[in-house]
Amino acid sequence: MKRLVIISGSILTLLVILLVGLRLFRPHVFSGTVIQSPEPSFNFTLQSASAPVSLSDFSGKVVVLYFGYTFCPDVCPTTMTDLAKAMKLLGRKADDVQVIMVSVDPERDTAGKLEEYVHAFDPTFIGLTGTPQQIAEVAARYGVYYAKHEGSDASGYLIDHTATVMVINEEGRLKLLESFGTTPEEMAADLAHMIN
Amino acid sequence: MRRIAVVPVLLVLLAGCTSQGLTVADVWGRPPPSAATNAAFYLTINNGGEADQLVSADSSACGTAELHEMYDKGDGVMGMRPVEGIEIPAGGSVTLEPGGLHVMCIGRLADFTPGDHVPLTLEFQNAGTIEVNATIRES
Repeated sequence: MKRLVIISGSILTLLVILLVGLRLFRPHVFSGTVIQSPEPSFNFTLQSASAPVSLSDFSGKVVVLYFGYTFCPDVCPTTMTDLAKAMKLLGRKADDVQVIMVSVDPERDTAGKLEEYVHAFDPTFIGLTGTPQQIAEVAARYGVYYAKHEGSDASGYLIDHTATVMVINEEGRLKLLESFGTTPEEMAADLAHMIN
Repeated sequence: MRRIAVVPVLLVLLAGCTSQGLTVADVWGRPPPSAATNAAFYLTINNGGEADQLVSADSSACGTAELHEMYDKGDGVMGMRPVEGIEIPAGGSVTLEPGGLHVMCIGRLADFTPGDHVPLTLEFQNAGTIEVNATIRES
């Protein structure tokens, strides 16, 4: 009788440990779309306000890449604000993340203007521009669509663009796509799981 | 008999920024970076009366103000385009918010810092002119 109690008690305890363990140690479910990049992502070199900047400069860090333009009053500020909030949520871990905004409007966005723009959201953010050809190449390599279209006389041209945020891992491979509207909490949780 | 008449009069007086049953509330905008030439204002329009249309917007703090909307072009691409007017259905409400409709302030003439109140004039087809103040805040 006693042996039965001990055996069934042990089995029950093991079951409980198993269930608790499965709950605690289940893998993180990413909010973003997970990509398995077979190759490192295109190592671009573009212009910041002070010096040329390459993606490889940030090897060892998680890079958050966004393509936008300063003329855009809604989508880009929304994304930048959300990214800044995500950085705050990460706390110390934010040191391992670099947010980069590449301009899809090199004709109007100068490097200086971009730097002022991104720094308004977070002083660690970097804004990059280049020649229209350089921008076109980087955008194409990252699968980013952008196209000018007429606005009004007052607004000048407007640019439709991919508003997805790309997350490149510490080995330089594109790993996650975060769609427009991803909350800062979701972004921070995904980024935290990419930092080693 | 006289006491009953007081109630509708009070309601009209309490309506505040109203014109013919249309109210505008929660007018706000984010503080744009100083490098940004443009800004966006958001607001909620509640229509207690007949169908109306927001035809235009203007502000002394903007070179020009226009009505714009963000829209999803599919495959993660967001576009923006000017809109002719914003319909407000009878008895309905419309919210201009991030990712959707907004008043685009083109060519800011001043710095907008959190706490500021920026004057905004809205023109409605039926309700006419409504003056509001946009509160600049983080979100």
